[in-house]
Amino acid sequence: MTQHDIRTAARSRDAVLSRDSGMAKVTALSWRAGAAGVVAAGLLTFALGHHAAASDVPAGHQGSIQIPAQPPGQAAGSGQVTSGAS
Amino acid sequence: MTTGAITTDTFEVFGTTAVLLVTRSSAIGQARGIADRLLAAVDLACSRFRPDSELSRLNAAGGKPALVSTTFASLLAAALRAARLTGGDVDPTCGRALTGLGYDRDFAELRASGDAPARLMGPVGPVPGWTRVRLDRAGRRVRLERGAQLDLGATAKAWAADKCADQIADQVGCGVLVSLGGDVAVAGQPPPDGWEIRVTDDHAAPEWAPGQTITISSGGLATSSTTVRTWTLGGRKVHHIIDPSTGEPARSCWRTVSVAAGTCVDANTASTAAIVRGAAALDWLHDIGLPARLVRHDGTVETTAGWPYNDPGDAA
Repeated sequence: MTQHDIRTAARSRDAVLSRDSGMAKVTALSWRAGAAGVVAAGLLTFALGHHAAASDVPAGHQGSIQIPAQPPGQAAGSGQVTSGAS
Repeated sequence: MTTGAITTDTFEVFGTTAVLLVTRSSAIGQARGIADRLLAAVDLACSRFRPDSELSRLNAAGGKPALVSTTFASLLAAALRAARLTGGDVDPTCGRALTGLGYDRDFAELRASGDAPARLMGPVGPVPGWTRVRLDRAGRRVRLERGAQLDLGATAKAWAADKCADQIADQVGCGVLVSLGGDVAVAGQPPPDGWEIRVTDDHAAPEWAPGQTITISSGGLATSSTTVRTWTLGGRKVHHIIDPSTGEPARSCWRTVSVAAGTCVDANTASTAAIVRGAAALDWLHDIGLPARLVRHDGTVETTAGWPYNDPGDAA
């Protein structure tokens, strides 16, 4: 093997190593970008879902049916108005 | 009309009778003006029988998102809250079920037409469910999924009564009672002995009709019944309170339920849910502490959570 052949072989090895190293870096970057995308999508889904759920109800008194401040009292007569179905 | 210190105004709205009472006679005109403006806005937002209402347009949108008014967003939010608090027993997606029962026009027109036309497509089945309604309240956008069709009848009238009473009390500064077809809301300083209300099956019943008279000083009172808004469908008597699990009129052991609550919309939510839940409603109302009067089909009465003694002679 001549000196020229030895230099050519060495350059070829370096080129292959550089290519493999570059591919590894690109693959790692792709995985990181993909993982970040998944996390971001999850956070966005949670935030929007929470917003949608929260916006379905009016502010205040969301948690339960309100009981009256005082229970109804007994009365006689026909009343000032009638509560019945319509 | 003035009775003692109380002044009354009676008028027609939403196909039913509205009654406005104020504790200062000079305030009645201003109070009526406030009520008229608010009720007109509610009708334009959510009438099922007006093609130009937001609700009609949304129901016809084929699942596409629609931009809605603040009033409509608030009305829908109240309906979705009622659905959530009752585990879906009071569900706003019963529009198609009611239409399937022939209730596709103003009720007076439906009743006058006699027997409603039979369904074209057979039983509707369970309603799509309130979780099919997407409301972005901040963005005022609504989308109906999977063919859901809205009817806000279970909460809209009560919501309107609450808003009318609150706005009148705030702007006029007197005690006020608003009754919209028997859905009652009060606000401001009440009369010394409270507001006297006759509770019976039908809000338009004569004063000698069986029932019970009670007083409230705050919040709201609502009555739901299977005996009033009824019509015939193919010779079968049906009513407007839909059981969401079947899409059919609820088969309840109660003919009428009246509930007092912190607001009229909460009272109506509970009274409607009680009709749908049937016998289980007694324990439910007791557990959450809501005073209620429940009338069976034979007229016997049950009460819960501090509802005043019901004289058997008053049995409905």
